[in-house]
Amino acid sequence: MAWYHELFSSFVALVGRRRQEREMSEEVRFHIEMETRRNVEAGLSEAEARRRAVRDFGGVERHKDHVRDERGTSWFYDGWNDVRFAARSLRRRAGFTTIATITLALGIGATTTLFGVVKQVLLTPLPYGQPESVAVVWSAWKGFDQTWLSYDEWEGWKARIPAFQDIAIYFDGSSTFDGDNPERIRTANVQMNVFPILGVRPIIGRNFTADEDRPNGPSAVILGNALWQRRFGGDPSVIGRKVQISGQTYTVVGVMPNGFRLPIDFGGSGPSEAWFPLATDAAAQGAVPGPEFPKTGANHGFYAVARLAPGATAATANGQLRSVVAELEKWGYMANVGFHAYAVPVEEQITGRVRPVLLVVFGAVGFVLLIACANVAGLLLVRGESRKRELAVRVALGAGSQRLTRLLLAESGVLAALGATLGIGLATLGVRLIRASAPTSLPRVAETTLDWGVLTFALVVAVVAALLAGIIPALQATHLAPAVELKEGGRGATTSRARLRWRQSLVATEVALAVVLVVAAGLMIRSVRNLLAIDAGFRPDGVLTMRISTPSTFYPDSVRVAAFWDELQRRVAAVPGVRRVGAVRLLPLATEMGDWDVQVEGYTPPPNQGTPGDWQIVTPGYFQAMGLTLREGRVFEARDDMAGSLALIVNRTFTERYLAGRHALGTRVRIGATDTTKWYTIVGVVDDVHHNTLVGKVKPEFYATLAQFAVAPGSTRRSMSLVVRTDGDPTTLVAPVRSVVKQLDARLPVSEIRTMRTIVNSAIGGPRFAMGALGLFGVLALALSAIGIFGIVSQVVASREHEFAIRSALGATPRELVGLSLKTVVRQALAGLAVGIVIALLFTRAMTSMLQGVTPTDPWTFAAVVVVTGLVAIAASVGPARRAGKADPARVLGSS
Amino acid sequence: MAPDRQPSQRSEVLQGTLEMLTLKLLTAEAMHGWGLSLKLRQISHDVFDVNQGSLYPALQRMLRRGWIRAEWRASDNNRRARYYAITREGRRQLEAEIEDWERSSGAVNRVLRYAFQGG
Repeated sequence: MAWYHELFSSFVALVGRRRQEREMSEEVRFHIEMETRRNVEAGLSEAEARRRAVRDFGGVERHKDHVRDERGTSWFYDGWNDVRFAARSLRRRAGFTTIATITLALGIGATTTLFGVVKQVLLTPLPYGQPESVAVVWSAWKGFDQTWLSYDEWEGWKARIPAFQDIAIYFDGSSTFDGDNPERIRTANVQMNVFPILGVRPIIGRNFTADEDRPNGPSAVILGNALWQRRFGGDPSVIGRKVQISGQTYTVVGVMPNGFRLPIDFGGSGPSEAWFPLATDAAAQGAVPGPEFPKTGANHGFYAVARLAPGATAATANGQLRSVVAELEKWGYMANVGFHAYAVPVEEQITGRVRPVLLVVFGAVGFVLLIACANVAGLLLVRGESRKRELAVRVALGAGSQRLTRLLLAESGVLAALGATLGIGLATLGVRLIRASAPTSLPRVAETTLDWGVLTFALVVAVVAALLAGIIPALQATHLAPAVELKEGGRGATTSRARLRWRQSLVATEVALAVVLVVAAGLMIRSVRNLLAIDAGFRPDGVLTMRISTPSTFYPDSVRVAAFWDELQRRVAAVPGVRRVGAVRLLPLATEMGDWDVQVEGYTPPPNQGTPGDWQIVTPGYFQAMGLTLREGRVFEARDDMAGSLALIVNRTFTERYLAGRHALGTRVRIGATDTTKWYTIVGVVDDVHHNTLVGKVKPEFYATLAQFAVAPGSTRRSMSLVVRTDGDPTTLVAPVRSVVKQLDARLPVSEIRTMRTIVNSAIGGPRFAMGALGLFGVLALALSAIGIFGIVSQVVASREHEFAIRSALGATPRELVGLSLKTVVRQALAGLAVGIVIALLFTRAMTSMLQGVTPTDPWTFAAVVVVTGLVAIAASVGPARRAGKADPARVLGSS
Repeated sequence: MAPDRQPSQRSEVLQGTLEMLTLKLLTAEAMHGWGLSLKLRQISHDVFDVNQGSLYPALQRMLRRGWIRAEWRASDNNRRARYYAITREGRRQLEAEIEDWERSSGAVNRVLRYAFQGG
C-alpha cells in the first residue's frame, strides 16, 4: 500500500525539487518568526528574541538537510553528485576516456547489432496467427530429402491424418504485372484455405471463395501490401478493380497485411506479391483419395501447409503419416524409392537452419563485449593505481568504502553511458550493413531494425558492462590502508602483490577470450574456403544472368518462343564485351531442380525402380556461356533446332549410373516413362554440375535444347534465364543487355538480374555470414586485447621502475631487465592460451553444423591461432617492456 | 511561560513516539509545524522538548508515507503557513501505534510493579 505512495512521492520530490526547496525555506522562516514573536511576547527584545529563536531551531541548514534526507531522494542527488564528479575527472583525462569509450562502444555496438538480428530472426513471431500450430508438410524419397507433395497425397493426408485440422497446397511462380512499367513479380497459386491455415486475413477485401477456387472460376487476385503501395499508392478502392497480369484480366478481391509471406517466401528468391486461386480439383488431376493413388506417385509439385488439430503436434502428425505411408508402401505406392512424408513446425522450417549460425555469432559477440569490459577494467585499475593517493586522502577524511565504491562505479557508469551512446550509433551503422549484406538465404535477417527492444538491450548491456568493468577496480581501490599509501609519499615505489595479480590475470583473460574468437573465425574461414574450393562444375566469374519470360499472350506457340531466343542471343552476342551467350531453364545453385523419369536404351532399372534424371533445358551457347566442361562428343549447335534430329547431352553421373561400360554417344533416351514419346540420341557428355546444393551428391542429369524439348515431350518453356559471359566485370553489361531486350520486345520485363558469383556466394550465405561476422570479431578481439595488454604491461613496468633501477645499479643488463618484465606477461599469456583452448573446444562444438571439411577441433587451426594470439600478446608487451631496459638508476633512485 | 530553560531539565521525546504524538495531535485539527512543536511542549509541560530538527524531518517522512498531507493556508494571524492534516492511512497507522504503545507501556509498568514488590 504505502510503497507506491513512497515511490510516487520520491518521484514528485525529484521533479518538484525547486518548489520543495522554496516551501521548506518558507516553512522554516515561518517557524522562526512565530517563535520570535512568542519570545517578544515573553518580554525579550526584538533582537534577542530572534537570536534565541534561531538558536532553538538549532542549525537551519543542518535541519534542512535532514528534511531533504526524508524526501527519499538523497540517493539520487548523492548519485548525481558522484556522476558529476566522475564526469569532471574523466574530462581531465581525455586520452583515457576516449580509449575506454571507444572500447566499450565497439563491444556494445557489436552486441547490440547482433541482438537486433537475433531478435528479428528468432524472437519476433512469424507473421501468422498462432504460428506454433502451423506446420509445413513435405514428401521425400531417395535423392530428395525434401520435395513437393502430389495432389493425391494432399487429399490423402487431408482425409487420413487426424493431427491435421486442415491442410492446403500451393505452388509458386512468377508473372508479369502489366501496365506502363511492366514488372516481373513472384506470385503463388493458393488454395482458398491457405490463408486461414496460416491465420492471416486480407486487411481489405476478402479471401478467395470456393467459386473462385475451382477450374474456370472467376479470375480473382489478392495483392501483396508492397505491390499495392507501389502500383496503387495504397488506394483502398482497388478492391473490385480489374488488373492485367501476364496478359490476363483479374479482379482484385483483397490486399494482404504488410509483412505477410508464405512459408516458402522466407529466403530464397524473395516474397511472392500476388496470389491467385489454385483452382484445381481431383478430376483435373485424375486423383482420388486413399488407395486409389496412382502407383507412380504422379506429379509432385505442391508446397503444403497444415494447421495442427488442438492438442496435436508435428510429432503426432509424423507418427500418423508414418503408419499411413507404411500402408501405402505395402500396397505399392512409389515402390522402392523409399517414399515418406513428414511435417515440420513452420518456425523450425524457416529459422531452423539459421538458428545455430546466429547463436554462435551472438555468443562470439558476447566474448567481444567481455574483452572490451576486461580492457576497460584494466584501464581503470591502472588509473586506480595513480589515484591511490587521492583515494587514500578521501578514506583518511572519513569517506566510507561504500562511498568510494559508489564513486568509482559512477566513473565506469559514465564511461558505459558514453560507450552506449557511441555504441548505439555504431549499431545503427551495423544494422544498415547487415540489411545491405544479408544473403537472402538467411531468412528475415534483412528485416533487422533498431527498435525499442533492441535499444533497451543496449542499455542493459551498458549497465552490465559498467559493473563488469568497474567492480574489480572499485573493490580493489577501496581496500587500501591510508596510512601506508600516504606514508609512501605517493611515489608508489611498491605495488602490492595482490594488485599485480589482478592486473596480470586480466592479461590471461583477454588472451583466453581472443583465442576463442580467433579459433571460431579460423574454422569458418577454412570452412568457407573449402566450400569455395568445391568444383561446382561451371565457372561463375564473369557471368551475368537475368530472367525473361515469353508469355503465351505475346508468344502463342513454341516456334515463336524459339525464334525469340535465337534472335535475342544473336543481338546480345553483338554487344561489345560479350564473349558467350546462352539460356537455361534453371540456374545452378539458384533454384532446386526436380527429376523426370527417362528410358535409356539398353538399361533396365532394378524392379520397381525408375530411371530418374534431373532435366535441364538450354539453348545452344549455354555450355560455353556457363563454362561447363565437355568430356565427350559435342555441345549443342544451331542445327539442334525443331527440324533437326533430337539430340541430348547428359552428365557424367548419368553415364556412370545408366550407361556403365557402354559408349554413351549414340545411345537413345526417351524423356518420360511412356512408350509414345520420341527417342533422343546422346551427342555429348559434360562434367557434373552441382545444382541444388554445393555439397552433396550430384544426380543423373540430361540437357535438351529449348527448341527440341518443344517437340518431345512437347512442352514450351515460358521462362528462361539468359546467361552472358564476359571477360571483365559482368555488372557493366546490365544496362546494354537490358536495352537489347527492350529493343527486341519492350513488353517483356527483365527480372532477377544477378551475377553467378552472387548466386554462388548466396548459396553459401550462412557460412559466409558467419565467416564475415566471426572474422570481424576475431580481428576486433585481437586488437582490443593488444591494446589492453599494452596498457597493463606499461603500467606494470612503470610500477616496477624502482626495482629495475636497483637491479640495473647492481649490474643487470637492459636485456635482462626486458626479459624480467616479459616473463610474467609470457606466463600469463600461456595461461590465457591454455584456458582459451579449453573454452574454444567447448564453444566450437556448437559450430559443427556450420563447418565444411574441417572438424571443430581442427589441430591446424588451433595451432595457428595459438601462434597468432601469442605473437600479438608478446608484440603488445614488447614496447612497454623495453622501457624497463632503459631504467636509469641515477634518475630514478636520485629522485627519492 | 519562561522561554529560557536549562537543557538538563528537558528530555528528548521517547524514541519512536514522536510520530505517534504528532498524528494524535493532528486528529483534532490540522496544524502547522510551529503550532505542533508548541503544542507538544505545552501538553507535556515542557517535559518533552521537541527538537525542530526532528519534527520537520518526521513530518516529511510521514508525508512520504502518506500518513499526513500538507497544504498552504492562511494562519490565525493571516500569514501563509503550511498546515498538516492526518489522512485515513495516518489514522490507521495511529491506531496501530497506540495499540503497540499500550502493549509495551503496560509491560513496562508490570515489570516496574514487580520490581517494587520485590525491592
